[in-house]
Amino acid sequence: MPDQKPETVRLTIDGTTVAVPKGTLVIEAARRVGVMIPHFCYHPKLKPDANCRMCLVEVEKMPKLQTACSTPVAEGMAVRTATTTVDDAHKSVLEFILANHPLDCPVCDQGGKCDLQDFSHQYTPTTSRFTETKRIFQKEYFSPLIETQMNRCVQCLRCVRYCDEIMDVKALAPVGRGTMTEIKHFGPHELDCEFCGGCIQICPVGAITSRLSMYEYRPWMLKRADTICTFCGDGCRITVQTKGNELIEVNSAHGAGRNNGDLCARGFFGFHASSDADRLTHPLIRREGKLVEATWEDALEYVAEQALRLKLAHSADAFGGLITSRCTNEDLYVFQKFMRQVIGTNRIDSSARYGHLNGVQALRRVQGTHRWTIAFEDIVAANALLLVGTNITETSPITGLKVKEAVKKRQASLVTMEALQPAIDTLSNITNLALQHFPTHPAQFGNTVLGLTKAVIEGNLVDATLAQQAPAFVQRLTSALQGISWENLEAVTGQTRTQWTETAKILAGANRLVILVGNGVLRHPGGDATVTNLLDLLILLGKLDKPGCGLGPLAEENNDQGAVEMGAVAEFFPGPAPLDDQPVRDRIATVWREELPRTPGASLTEMLAAANKGSLKALFVVGENPVGTLPAEAQAAEALGKLDLLVCQELFLTETAAMAHVVLPACSYMEKDGTFTNSEGHVQGVRQAINPVGDSRPDWEMFSALSVLMGSPLEYGDAREILKEIRTVIPGYGLLGPTPTPPKVDQAVLSGYLTQGFAGDAATRYAVSQPRQTGDGSFTLMFVQTLFHSGKLSTHSKGLLQLQQEGFLSINPEDAARLDLADGGQVKVSNSRGAITTTVKIRERVPAGLLWFPEHFDGEAKQLAEWTIDPRTQIPYFKLAHVSLAKVS
Amino acid sequence: MLKETHKAEIDDILSRYPVKRSALLPLLYLAQREQGYITEAAMQEIAGLLKLTPPQVYETATFYTMLNLKPVGKFHLQVCKSLMCALVGSDTVIGWISAKLGIKPGETTPDRLFTLSIVECLAACGTGPMMQVNDDYYERLTEEKLDRILADLRQTGTCSLKTGPFMWPEPAPAKPGA
Amino acid sequence: MNVAVTTQPKRKPSFGDWLKTLTFYELLVGMKATLTHLLNYKPITLQYPHEKRLLPDNYRGMLALLRYDDGTEKCVGCDLCEAACPSRVIRVVSGEVPGEPTKRYSKEYYMDMTRCLFCGLCVDACPVDALGMTREFEWAVYDKRQLHLNKQQLLAIGDRSFPVREKRLELQHPNVAFFNVTFKHLPQKEN
Repeated sequence: MPDQKPETVRLTIDGTTVAVPKGTLVIEAARRVGVMIPHFCYHPKLKPDANCRMCLVEVEKMPKLQTACSTPVAEGMAVRTATTTVDDAHKSVLEFILANHPLDCPVCDQGGKCDLQDFSHQYTPTTSRFTETKRIFQKEYFSPLIETQMNRCVQCLRCVRYCDEIMDVKALAPVGRGTMTEIKHFGPHELDCEFCGGCIQICPVGAITSRLSMYEYRPWMLKRADTICTFCGDGCRITVQTKGNELIEVNSAHGAGRNNGDLCARGFFGFHASSDADRLTHPLIRREGKLVEATWEDALEYVAEQALRLKLAHSADAFGGLITSRCTNEDLYVFQKFMRQVIGTNRIDSSARYGHLNGVQALRRVQGTHRWTIAFEDIVAANALLLVGTNITETSPITGLKVKEAVKKRQASLVTMEALQPAIDTLSNITNLALQHFPTHPAQFGNTVLGLTKAVIEGNLVDATLAQQAPAFVQRLTSALQGISWENLEAVTGQTRTQWTETAKILAGANRLVILVGNGVLRHPGGDATVTNLLDLLILLGKLDKPGCGLGPLAEENNDQGAVEMGAVAEFFPGPAPLDDQPVRDRIATVWREELPRTPGASLTEMLAAANKGSLKALFVVGENPVGTLPAEAQAAEALGKLDLLVCQELFLTETAAMAHVVLPACSYMEKDGTFTNSEGHVQGVRQAINPVGDSRPDWEMFSALSVLMGSPLEYGDAREILKEIRTVIPGYGLLGPTPTPPKVDQAVLSGYLTQGFAGDAATRYAVSQPRQTGDGSFTLMFVQTLFHSGKLSTHSKGLLQLQQEGFLSINPEDAARLDLADGGQVKVSNSRGAITTTVKIRERVPAGLLWFPEHFDGEAKQLAEWTIDPRTQIPYFKLAHVSLAKVS
Repeated sequence: MLKETHKAEIDDILSRYPVKRSALLPLLYLAQREQGYITEAAMQEIAGLLKLTPPQVYETATFYTMLNLKPVGKFHLQVCKSLMCALVGSDTVIGWISAKLGIKPGETTPDRLFTLSIVECLAACGTGPMMQVNDDYYERLTEEKLDRILADLRQTGTCSLKTGPFMWPEPAPAKPGA
Repeated sequence: MNVAVTTQPKRKPSFGDWLKTLTFYELLVGMKATLTHLLNYKPITLQYPHEKRLLPDNYRGMLALLRYDDGTEKCVGCDLCEAACPSRVIRVVSGEVPGEPTKRYSKEYYMDMTRCLFCGLCVDACPVDALGMTREFEWAVYDKRQLHLNKQQLLAIGDRSFPVREKRLELQHPNVAFFNVTFKHLPQKEN
């Protein structure tokens, strides 16, 4: 975001005068006056390369034609784009390109949306003067998802530049020279990269196309629906292209959505999850112990009848509800309204419980907001960025792109704290770009942040006005941190004091400081304390309420934020507002025309415990899979087995759904309308792309139908009506704009925090947490997200399964060498909880002493995880284990 | 592995450049000097040394004709095919060598003595047609000269007709045994 | 052409005019064709099922799919005929040839001949000359559904109407040598 008004320059393009900011390229200026200059190698996202020579224009007083894509505008410049000379130049350039371009448009997937085709129609005669033999490349296998046909390449190098400048993967290279330049990966190997699909999207011709949809369509057959990706909290705008009712392709237009047209492998290749053959197509009822197909009427009546019976026999609090944050806001809202109004209980929870609540609670406590006070634009414009506990390029790839842009294009200083080693491999690694990197053990984030805060205080970097306004706060923190010795911190974390001091200076010196917190912190014990400490750090630096500064917790699931805001968690009403907030209670009651339940809520773990004890009789589970997700120690299967009524609304027959009394087939995000709220708090529209698979229905419709059968109808015509009601409950919610307007720090809450709020747990937050001693092995096993999957939904996507179809253990090369493990070999991972045998993959990015296992394939492996429940927040943690390794020969 | 065998030389090369990537060509030369051509393993190792990805090394290695990605014979005949030489008959030179040795451009004789390649301008445009054999230039080539060069190379491993390359500053005389 | 457009002054009728009026000359000119046929009468109606008219070479009859001389289908499944067809006769489902990686063909090809108006635009649109218009026209059927033809039927029509076949495209010119060919060493696209 520019701080001052940029200088403008006036120039004439084809007789039209236009004023543009200084530094604009002629091609962009021309676009403003509606003149499209043909080009191949130019792309607004990339640095100009001017290699295709297609954009030649005539500039007055310049003796030769100039490339519009690399010529910046100058005052009084007169550009002509349609003279005979320019036209001749276009003709000759195209003639050179077409000399080697095979005219195989009929079998080329780009045919119909190809720049070369369009320009040839526009600028060349239909006959060719070329009689020689064309250039032929050896056809090589590129990848199972990306198809290349190098004979079609016009060597604009957009793909290579995109891979380097935007993605920072550098997997593609122009190999050879001159006409014989060809885009390749490395040697005769097939492509191994992030598979973001950027090269497919950016290729102006058909040289790089998607193998997933190869030969299945022509562009004019496709129907498009702009919707939002469901695979992470970034909330990327995707355009789903369908032929008939068949999903063909996903792409994202330049400038579209918060992702600006960039996607990751999940977004680009993961869409087939919706059309998987395993989808549930009919309601299922358990009859004589087996799930059998039933009609909607039977299924719903059965559920309503049983629910009414149980409600009469027990109380409303014998019911519980569990919903996934992958649902739309509308689903989440109707779900919690159904549970609170029709059933009459607050015992509901969602998958935001697994960690996102840690971030939201800390934000609410310190700055009085439940959303980021920053937007993606602030990340790009930041001077310094601090990433804590997030392997951002794998977990939130598109937010990662914003960080990459800030560092690579705008020279922001990046500081990373993560259990990650800087290493160059086939995936981009954010720590490679970091000015300071703290390789942090997953249990040491809190202590590493303490070191940073200590360095800020001891380096006299505390904001002067803060010291005057809140002396008690500064005093308390100073004294607490003085009690911690550097030696102690260095010993537990393995970092050095100089690094903390250097980093503190970087952060203090930045005008715009953005902190992003990921699952490494949020999904591990002490997550809320660490986030609060990071907010303290921002306060100490005097940056919490400065423009462009702030802290953002990164959501894992696409609608974690929405789940909290819709009140689909135990402790919040829609808003989110705490259950004891009387004004909100009154406001919602006037909209719902019914009193809200007064009983306390119950979290996922509390509900499971209650079910085990027998006090919870019925559970509605929407898209969640506690049996398949939680380790055995959570006793989810036992608990659910004791229920009198288990209703699952699911896409697939998961482990939990297989135990249910009734399974209702739900629509995936491709088949329904609604809204998602991304990490940064932007509410974006989800649009239906295909008809519901089989008899599946959106989740809200099922609750609506059930409520009618249960005698207190919640009737809505469509998703928009629900959104309208949400807006009456939460004023101004989700006005679907192009950019979010982040909330401001609530000064009242902040000053309350600075005077008193911080004190309550300051002693525990500002103390070195000692690593837990377990009798288990010397390795720390982390269950991590990988780039190619998201939760378990993506494991139904055929495209992503081709990239990764099973779990494997990632290990540092040194550890592997010590244990004599080879890449692809078998290893036994064991601790007191159990043992598994899996495949080893040696990866330099894994720090020594740590092991990574993808949580999407955790299956048996999850039994190794340590199960702890935060007694205060009821957040279950199960992403860490201490294990020993043994080679299996 | 280069890192073990040539540690001092690699360190010396790396120390010459403020930007690591600049050391790419000298390191590729080092790898080629070692094995006669640049192996895939060498490219991967160099990528690791310079914090580049293997494709970035590969693109550079394929761009320069003096870097070989396949094993070459003892004498690497590199005939200039650029415009100046082409005008004065580089096609004849290539045809003559092909006929004499029975190999096409890009191929190596079965006795692994000669490899014929066609390369871009070698900056001897005034004295074309010309070719470079390993590091030596042979200029104003004719059929007779070619016959003599090939015969001499075969017998003595060198030929008195060579003329260069001319470097500035003159390279220090090679130390014996280096 | 220099046509005088100036209005001529009214001319006094000459002897010739008078004679023409008297002998009904203009009438005879108009009746010339009729009178000629009256004099040498020959029936022109063909006894259709027994006698058939010789059709011109560019007759636009039933559509057909063609093959190369080695029996392979010409159609590459490019969908251009479908796009060109003004009355939505054609439906093409394209895909990769099973067992022949990267080669494109039409998995399914349908023509709803009840709607066809025999304009020939699909034949013009076809980049590989896979479509031909035969001289078949005897396609009256009792059930309209019989006019909904699939690929096999269309190929059969082509087989019987075009016995002379071209050689494969990739053998015709080096520049089309790599047009839609199989690369056996590549894996098949997964489905």
